[in-house]
Amino acid sequence: MQRREFFKKLGSAAAITAVIPMMSFAADAKKQAGPNEFSYEKALDVITGGKGAKASPKVSLKAPAIAENGAVVPITVEVESPMTESDYVKAIHIFATKNSNSRSASVHLTPANGKAIFAARIKLGSTQDVIALAEMSDGTFLTATQSVKVTIGGCG
Amino acid sequence: MKTGIKIALSLALLSSLSFGGEQFAMSDSDRAMYAEMLENNPADIMVANGEQLLGNLGGEAAFAKYLGVSEDKLPEYIAGFPRYIEKFKMVVGIDQVLQAMMHDAGEKPFKLKSSDMFDMLAYTKSLANGVKSNIDIDANQHMKDAYALGQKTFDTKRGGRGLSCLSCHAPAVIGSVLRTQPLPDLSSKGVAVAATWPAYRMTKSSLRTLQRRFQGCMKNALLKVIPIGSPEMVALEVYLTKQAEGTEIAIPGLKR
Amino acid sequence: MERKSLIKIKPKKYKNGDVVKINFMVMHPMETGLRKDKKTGKIVPAQYINNVKFEYNGKVITTINVWESLSANPVFTIYMKIDGPGELKVTFTENTGEVNETSTKIKPKG
Repeated sequence: MQRREFFKKLGSAAAITAVIPMMSFAADAKKQAGPNEFSYEKALDVITGGKGAKASPKVSLKAPAIAENGAVVPITVEVESPMTESDYVKAIHIFATKNSNSRSASVHLTPANGKAIFAARIKLGSTQDVIALAEMSDGTFLTATQSVKVTIGGCG
Repeated sequence: MKTGIKIALSLALLSSLSFGGEQFAMSDSDRAMYAEMLENNPADIMVANGEQLLGNLGGEAAFAKYLGVSEDKLPEYIAGFPRYIEKFKMVVGIDQVLQAMMHDAGEKPFKLKSSDMFDMLAYTKSLANGVKSNIDIDANQHMKDAYALGQKTFDTKRGGRGLSCLSCHAPAVIGSVLRTQPLPDLSSKGVAVAATWPAYRMTKSSLRTLQRRFQGCMKNALLKVIPIGSPEMVALEVYLTKQAEGTEIAIPGLKR
Repeated sequence: MERKSLIKIKPKKYKNGDVVKINFMVMHPMETGLRKDKKTGKIVPAQYINNVKFEYNGKVITTINVWESLSANPVFTIYMKIDGPGELKVTFTENTGEVNETSTKIKPKG
């Protein structure tokens, strides 16, 4: 059923006004500067020492394409690696590119982990790209990006 | 002027929504990702707290004894709540039994609307995990009455907007999008709500119970909020538990 | 203040050499310092976990630098190779300097 019919079924114009304040609020919302404001570009520069990183299929980043709730967005990063003393993933960094502080977590791994997998839930202030940056033991940096659309609304 | 633009913009958005509800709904793979989170639900900590709190009262053995049920029958019995209990002469939820048990043990009972009670209720109900919800609304006249009152509470239009629970949860509107969220089917064909509450509410970052969820729903729809544990509220739980009959209980659930 | 936390190992039964999943969860509001209190209208000060350290029999296997954008009541999932019986200790620090720790026994079978 279409939304319009739905409102007809509700038979209530009041229900429509319920949506309007929310939308106006969204249009009004300003990006606030947080205590730890830090952009993705800056973080990437610091971590890679200016070398930068390249996208790689070795890094898999799982995140929902649409998150019903920006306060809890599940993410899982898996990096292909044997995790041996000579070849392992030193760190997995997670970034939310449009959050005022883009840094979410930096996970420093060791061969004792056996697998280079990290999962957590992050907060996203708006629709944006989430980036996983893997720091390999050979000094290279690999990334994976996933765009997450954050919807607002719902009841309660 | 500015407000005018805002309204126009909102209306434009609104009309785009009416044709594009799909684009806001999560895909099956997104849902699977959230379902994976059940494995490490943050509410596990709250349930562990509930276990400790019930442990202070003697644990499930004491709970079974208090209800006059053998310990191995307890999960089946819990899966049948809310029940009419002769001792109280009324239909009650698990939380009310816990309150009475605390009172009889000489302790100050937790309030029905308190996080400790939510935790303890969640743990107690989780003892029935894997058991199919088996509420018997024909067990006696009290249960029949509670079911009827529950349905009446569900169907009655109240509040400033003249909405009832049924307004948004009738078969005819299930699946339509309201405030970017598809309206859920509360029965066992859909989300079988009664079998998955108490649950972790992601938007509230806390463990909530079914009756607490009813309250949130009422508040948002501008209906006067009915107190937890009141006859109407318990009846509403009876009504929705009946809709989820036959569904395996899985506590704690995970909700948006 | 003391934070409630929990370490879960999956699968529950494991043996030496297995790579198991470690879920560490903690009850914490993860305040960003951007949110206003609805009642007072004042900004709620930032308070979040900023470091989580996993130690297996005294050896640090993973450390996580954390910022405020992790969800409230966070859950951290990592993997670990089982290498003998002992203890897994998790130490977590907050931006306020507060430190808490929790641990679980590692008991490989066979």
